[in-house]
Amino acid sequence: MPNHFLGVEGASVSFGKREAQVRALRGVSQFFERGTLSLVMGPSGSGKTTLLSLLGCLLSPDEGTVFIEGIAVNGLSEAERTTVRQKKISFVFQAFRLFHSLSAIDNVALGFELRDAALPGRMEMARELLVRFGLGDKLNQEPNELSPGEKQRVAIARALAGNPPILLADEPTASLDAHAGRNICQILRNQVDDDGRTVVVVTHDPRWREFADRTITLCDGQIEQEEKNL
Amino acid sequence: MKLAWQNIIHDRARFSVTVLGVSFAVFLMVFQGSLLVGFLRAASRLIDASDSDIWITARGVQAFEFGTPIEGRVREMAAGIPGVLETSRVCMAFAVYRTPNGKQQVVALVGADRNAGKHFPVPDAPGSAEGMSPDAVLYDVSDRDLIQVTAMPAEVEVNRHHASIERQIEGYGAFLGVPFLFTSYRNASRYMGVGPEEAMFVLLRVDKGYSTAEVQQNLRQRLPEVDVLTRDEFARKSRTYWTIKTGAGGAILTAAVLGFLIGLVVVSQTIYANTMENIEEYATLKALGASQAFVARIVLAQALICGAVGSILGLLAVVPSIGYAKSLIPWIYTPWWLLLVMVVPSLAMCSLASIASVRSALTVEPGRVFRA
Repeated sequence: MPNHFLGVEGASVSFGKREAQVRALRGVSQFFERGTLSLVMGPSGSGKTTLLSLLGCLLSPDEGTVFIEGIAVNGLSEAERTTVRQKKISFVFQAFRLFHSLSAIDNVALGFELRDAALPGRMEMARELLVRFGLGDKLNQEPNELSPGEKQRVAIARALAGNPPILLADEPTASLDAHAGRNICQILRNQVDDDGRTVVVVTHDPRWREFADRTITLCDGQIEQEEKNL
Repeated sequence: MKLAWQNIIHDRARFSVTVLGVSFAVFLMVFQGSLLVGFLRAASRLIDASDSDIWITARGVQAFEFGTPIEGRVREMAAGIPGVLETSRVCMAFAVYRTPNGKQQVVALVGADRNAGKHFPVPDAPGSAEGMSPDAVLYDVSDRDLIQVTAMPAEVEVNRHHASIERQIEGYGAFLGVPFLFTSYRNASRYMGVGPEEAMFVLLRVDKGYSTAEVQQNLRQRLPEVDVLTRDEFARKSRTYWTIKTGAGGAILTAAVLGFLIGLVVVSQTIYANTMENIEEYATLKALGASQAFVARIVLAQALICGAVGSILGLLAVVPSIGYAKSLIPWIYTPWWLLLVMVVPSLAMCSLASIASVRSALTVEPGRVFRA
């Protein structure tokens, strides 16, 4: 019996129609154990981001099943899938995707608000998260006043607001220099070791290997290779 | 909702354009609304100024300005109807006025018995200034340029009869571009060449023990050759004539609606552009678990903030402008409730304008967050 905490079973996804149709995933089955950091690697167009979209409840497969915390989410309505994202999943993006008009602390506080609008003390919790990531002196800076590494740390703080069990990251170090990139790798690794979160990282960056429990390599929409790292 | 507020103040140029659009629409709506209210008020101003309960007019008279003579016996018969406490007469006709310096001007000459009403402009009404002759002629201060009187009393001519202008009044300015002159009924009928027993309007006051409707019904049965209307009915008839039948009210209303539509287009454009500029942020919000209602609230809050700020600025601009316009359009009138009421359509306008934006924000695919 496989661990169905997070994963896909027989998932196929196509984009476009007729001659222009592209099969992004072809019957992929893959599960991610609770409390692990997994890498999804592969060349461009191999289906990495499509797999991440399925795991993030942002996309439904044409065929197959998606499991989040052991529950098949395919049949859920859009509103129910939104609730799943709200309660269980958070994202870290290559382009950070911070709200440009909000300060760092407001961005993180919004993360708390989205998970629980009635939660009291959001600003204080946001401040604590940012201080934890070494951004105590940048609380009121807007995103355009931060370095790429700082932006990504704010984005991770926002993702961790509300303590979601699953963290999905799409090329989180692609826009960062070596030092900042390594810092982000370590922060995400700590989420697994300290808080037992399940982290899936899509990346081309080989630096991640030393922080990951295992690596899955996709090619042409299928799993080409799976290896344990740690 | 902090995001909504921060988003709009972050792009101040766009916020200014939106607010300007709303302000313009509110300004135009309030201004046109004031013209309409003032026009309606002016159209029945003299009817409303009377203390009478019932007005008797010749058959088919549409408005105060178009009265035609009715026989003297009508007044006598009306006075004999049970419940009629008091009668008075009013006449009105266009006349030729010769200014003290010899220029000629068409005027609307109004004459009334002294008991027509406490607020009815009559020289010998109770409470009139002492020292004024019973046949004095009054004019409104806003018509000073047309009447061309520099000192009073001023000796002038009305329909080639000698007349003495002795006093200025306020609130009865030219409504159709023709200034009003007010005098006693006796004097006016002489200027107009109307027989002393004839009247154009007979005004009745109903005794306390009788209902106006009952007396009106009785009068209608006894006097089928004339129209018997309550004061409010005649005022409404007069307003309807000037606003609907002449098309003047329609023109003013059309301008007010156009103001609303222009504002709607400007605000729609800017709010839509603002939403589309931030569409990636809405996708991010949805990916992070924001509900449709949360996203819609942000777009709507932005529209309403623009609406509220624009309304305030529009109102701040229109109040002094109307004050200035009074010198050109004396009958323009802005009741306090119009200012409040106009905030509602402006907020509705912004809400309507945000519909297309809300749709775009709600239908954005959250999966696009992974496109770098």
